[in-house]
Amino acid sequence: MTAISLPDLSVNLGGGLSIKNPVMTASGTFGYGLEFSPFYDISRLGCLIVKGLSREPVLGNPPQRIVETASGMLNAIGLQNIGVERFVRDVVPRLEDAGATFAANIYGKTPEDYEAVAARLSEVDALAAIEVNASCPNVKEGGIAFGSSPEGIARLTERVRRATRKPLWVKLSPNVTDVGAIAKAAEEAGADAVTLINTLVGLAVDHRSRRPKLANVTGGLSGPAIKPVALRMVWEVCRKVKIPVIGIGGIQSAEDALEFLLVGASAVQIGTANFRNPRVAAEVVEGIEAFLRTEKIASVAEYRGTLRLP
Amino acid sequence: MPSSQLGFRKGTIVRNEGHGSIFYRMEVDLPEPVRFVPGQFAMVSGWPGSDPLLPRPFAIFRSGSNAGRHSVEFVYKVVGRGTALLSGLHDGDPVSLTLPLGRGFDLSGEGRTYWLVGGGVGFSTLFPAVDALAHRKAAGFELFLGGRTRDQLPPREWTPGGQAPGRFHLCTDDGTAGFHGTLVDALRERMKGVPAADLARITILACGPHPMLKGLAGLAAGAGVAMQASLENHMACGFGVCWGCVTAIRDGEATAYRRVCKEGPVFDAKEVVW
Ligand SMILES: Cc1cc2nc3c(=O)[nH]c(=O)nc-3n(C[C@H](O)[C@H](O)[C@H](O)COP(=O)(O)OP(=O)(O)OC[C@H]3O[C@@H](n4cnc5c(N)ncnc54)[C@H](O)[C@@H]3O)c2cc1C
Ligand SMILES: Cc1cc2nc3c(=O)[nH]c(=O)nc-3n(C[C@H](O)[C@H](O)[C@H](O)COP(=O)(O)O)c2cc1C
Ligand code: FES
Repeated sequence: MTAISLPDLSVNLGGGLSIKNPVMTASGTFGYGLEFSPFYDISRLGCLIVKGLSREPVLGNPPQRIVETASGMLNAIGLQNIGVERFVRDVVPRLEDAGATFAANIYGKTPEDYEAVAARLSEVDALAAIEVNASCPNVKEGGIAFGSSPEGIARLTERVRRATRKPLWVKLSPNVTDVGAIAKAAEEAGADAVTLINTLVGLAVDHRSRRPKLANVTGGLSGPAIKPVALRMVWEVCRKVKIPVIGIGGIQSAEDALEFLLVGASAVQIGTANFRNPRVAAEVVEGIEAFLRTEKIASVAEYRGTLRLP
Repeated sequence: MPSSQLGFRKGTIVRNEGHGSIFYRMEVDLPEPVRFVPGQFAMVSGWPGSDPLLPRPFAIFRSGSNAGRHSVEFVYKVVGRGTALLSGLHDGDPVSLTLPLGRGFDLSGEGRTYWLVGGGVGFSTLFPAVDALAHRKAAGFELFLGGRTRDQLPPREWTPGGQAPGRFHLCTDDGTAGFHGTLVDALRERMKGVPAADLARITILACGPHPMLKGLAGLAAGAGVAMQASLENHMACGFGVCWGCVTAIRDGEATAYRRVCKEGPVFDAKEVVW
């Protein structure tokens, strides 16, 4: 009998964090994680990212909050969430019981808010990382206000960096002209990794009623429609920074995920596709493993960033 | 019991037929039996590709097992792209289902009379409740079905419970069948002369267009009649993770947003901010 050596799926995300495979689930599309337990064992994920958390619970935007567009959707949820305290008290123990690797996505109106949430989460031993949402297009204050300039992102990143020793990821917006410069600013300010992309600002209107379809007027576009933009931005940022890049945007299959790894991402996050097929992230893990095995590639690290340019 | 557990399932269409001018009925074979509470629903997708991207919510109309085969049925009306694509699927085509979802009707009230009110395709949510009540001889019920015109009423052969002890009322906006007027008018008529003590024992179960539900909620509240309303909203996930489907609900003095797919789709009409 010949021993079959399984491909090594583990990836190093910097800041002392290594995860068992490069597949994560994107914030805001995976609830608090446990909602997916009926569909598969969530400990199989490289990491799951919970819904954006703020200092106090947030009510969110009025409905209509979502609308479907061609191969995508617009959302204007407005970061409705239970707040960091309830997360730590009620959710963390259950994620630990489930054996899941999990990270928290955080959001605030002011830099002090971000700092406070990061400090509180630093006390949670089981938490793998903190992902700073500097890019939500659906809230008036905070979010994208910080994420749209290198100076803004640097100030916010430094602030949160001082508040936590956890691995720190900064999640970037695509709604900017030079995403590379912003990623670089996050790196220099102490981020351990950058995550991109968040949603693209979009608009949907009804030509009969002459009204916007979302109560918030504009929303964030996600899903397969944004994949080419995301892939380009991830590729661009991978050439600009030395820290790991986590790629997101329209991933629905192992092939999609492999494309992001190919352009240099260390890991990927799956968002909207979880709504279509709640098992998709587990299927992507299996698909990546099967691909590497078939192609006789020893590890994800060996495949990563091997795009051949003309 | 695995059968009633939430899951993502792949099934095969065994029947997908149009009835009357607008309703389709789809039957899907599944590897496992499905158990559900009337009012619960499924997220359904079956078309190839990712446009439309999201699955569509439909009430579970029926489920059954026969000779080791398990199936689930849906009734739908073609209103847009997703339902148009569904109506073009054939026997043997694969479909994906996430089910059973949401909180259905509470039929546990002892000694209550239920008035089931279905507007348009809303009957698909209510017929399973009729079946459940017809099996419980203790509970009395009346069924009110409404449509814009005669051909927008459910096909007669689908009306449940042949021997059910309940009473049936039809109504149409244009008067081409049954009561001439809306379901709200029909219910107002029906309430006339019913003593307050009897009204207090009635629960309305309703599903239909928003203006109908809103009208009924006002009528029920004024008459001291309890009402459970099955709401519809645009959904992305259907199982409580995206927070896209929320509706405004009274939370003491304040308003809270609750998920139609998780805390609903059936809500106490008094709690809904209409
Ligand atoms: C819990 C629940 C149970 C349902 N049960 C049934 C059922 O048993 N049978 C049935 O025929 N329909 C049911 N519906 C409504 C059904 O989901 C929509 O008709 C369907 O999603 C429309 O898809 P489409 O692609 O054809 O339309 P689209 O092209 O997406 O839209 C066409 C029109 O329908 C409206 N619409 C789209 N989705 C919804 C929605 N979810 N709620 C309200 N309006 C919507 C749009 O605003 C638009 O005007 C249910 C909805 C919910 C939320
Ligand atoms: C309904 C919804 C809610 C989201 N909420 C958050 C959030 O709280 N924080 C955040 O950083 N990103 C949020 N996002 C963005 C996603 O994490 C992801 O960046 C984006 O959807 C692109 O990936 P996708 O195309 O795979 O969905 C949300 C996206 C959706 C669709
Ligand atoms: S549809 Fe996603 S939370 Fe209800």
